[in-house]
Amino acid sequence: MTVLIALPKGRLGDETLARLAGTPFAPDPAALKGRVLHIPTATPGVEALLLKGADLPRYVAGGVAALGVVGSDTLDELDADLLELSDLGFGACRLSLCAKADVSLDDLRTKAHLRIATKFPKATARWLEREELAAELLPLQSSVELAPLLGLADAIVDLVQTGGTLKAHGLAELAVLARTSARLVAGRGAYLGDPARLGPLARDLTTVLRA
Amino acid sequence: MAIRTPHFPDLLFDAASRLRMWESALLRLLADCGYKELRPSLVMREPMAQSAMRLFDQDELVGLRWDFTEALARLLASRFAEPPPRIAYAGAVFRRSAASWEAVERWEVGCECIQASGGDAAEADLDLARMLMAVPAAVGLKRSLLHLGDAALWRRPLEAEAVPAPLAAAATRALHQRAPHRVREALEDHPSSTRIADHAAFLASEPDGLSGLDALESSPFAALLAPDIERLIARFQTLQALMPPGVDLRLDLADVADLDFYTGPTLRLWAAGATASLAAGGRYDLLYPELGKPWQAAGFCVRLSALLELRDSRPELFEATP
Repeated sequence: MTVLIALPKGRLGDETLARLAGTPFAPDPAALKGRVLHIPTATPGVEALLLKGADLPRYVAGGVAALGVVGSDTLDELDADLLELSDLGFGACRLSLCAKADVSLDDLRTKAHLRIATKFPKATARWLEREELAAELLPLQSSVELAPLLGLADAIVDLVQTGGTLKAHGLAELAVLARTSARLVAGRGAYLGDPARLGPLARDLTTVLRA
Repeated sequence: MAIRTPHFPDLLFDAASRLRMWESALLRLLADCGYKELRPSLVMREPMAQSAMRLFDQDELVGLRWDFTEALARLLASRFAEPPPRIAYAGAVFRRSAASWEAVERWEVGCECIQASGGDAAEADLDLARMLMAVPAAVGLKRSLLHLGDAALWRRPLEAEAVPAPLAAAATRALHQRAPHRVREALEDHPSSTRIADHAAFLASEPDGLSGLDALESSPFAALLAPDIERLIARFQTLQALMPPGVDLRLDLADVADLDFYTGPTLRLWAAGATASLAAGGRYDLLYPELGKPWQAAGFCVRLSALLELRDSRPELFEATP
């Protein structure tokens, strides 16, 4: 039976595809450009599936794809029962609390009604609990950095890679909640039901992606 | 828009008939080994698990049966002065899962072997393992894997390093995900974090034969675990000699899902294509003493819902049925 590997779209996907290029797991370039659902790779019996990062864990947990590459930030927001076989090291970001450059962490701590906009409500709630802070969480899907500029929120929790976007919007990083990176995940059933096949494949994929 | 989750599956014709057929075949298998059926009520009035489905019976909050072992234990501990005979059960349990797409109503068949403390646990464990090995043939599953695990390989290092309970629980969750890198994160600044994470990396290797234990020789806890490893090798060899055709035995050193429940080796049945284990069991000697009875117990549960799902998605894995 064909083994399906779910690969993410977007920035993490670009880096994943660059690392896979020229390896036995490189997806067929022609199929990548087309609208092919199952993309053949250089290894017979192994195909790739391109998915949005937030959906990818569900496809792996549901047994559609056996393996997948996804950011740890996405995993931490879901309750999917997945095996997280390795930290691939790339796509490293900080999940940070950020606010306008003239606002300090103490300013936020003393606000009577703190509002935080984020795409990462679970990670933010965990941090607030650790810090014994109460806040209203405003879930947003995109351009989170606009929320403090337009007065929707006092601060944001978002992924920061270089800090360039923050700087461009006059925002500053006040606290690092977590460090995130790409992870190789496997479906529990897919891996434990066929370890002789999936185990070596996962090890080879880890080696290729960490190189 | 109405969102209907969690869901309660309806079984139509073929699936209903298959469930009935498997339930009968498995109860017959257990009856042939001296297990008698017992049916605890579908309603439980005891303190409820977080995952239970709750409802009101007039002013009283009750829960639907969420676990046969617990339902039976409460019934047996209150009704019997001595350990009762070997027990079989079949029926539905209702349990909310973290994954919203998983059915809440699940069908199970299982057995419990309860003895007075100090009884011959090894013989009982072997009997249960033999019956579990016979499950695939009883349901017509052509190829499967039986995973042997032993949580002592994880519990003992955590105890030896005096890891506080919340950190130990977080590290155990990480090992259950087979993520040694998360074990290190979970242990934060605990002085043992590097040693325990290194040990977790050895345990998280893929399920294999006895060669899977070779790597453990390099674990920082190799000396501490030597007696446990010796016992596990002996058990593996005993079971290996009994394996029926079509069932492969593997060691799964990272099977720590029920660390607080099982007190000895565990067995889980898997098949390629299944999204969950098809059966699971082991020894749980702490349950009855918690209910005031000096009894020890072991058992296993066959997850008929997982088998039905597998039959639906991978019919070629099963013998054709008339």
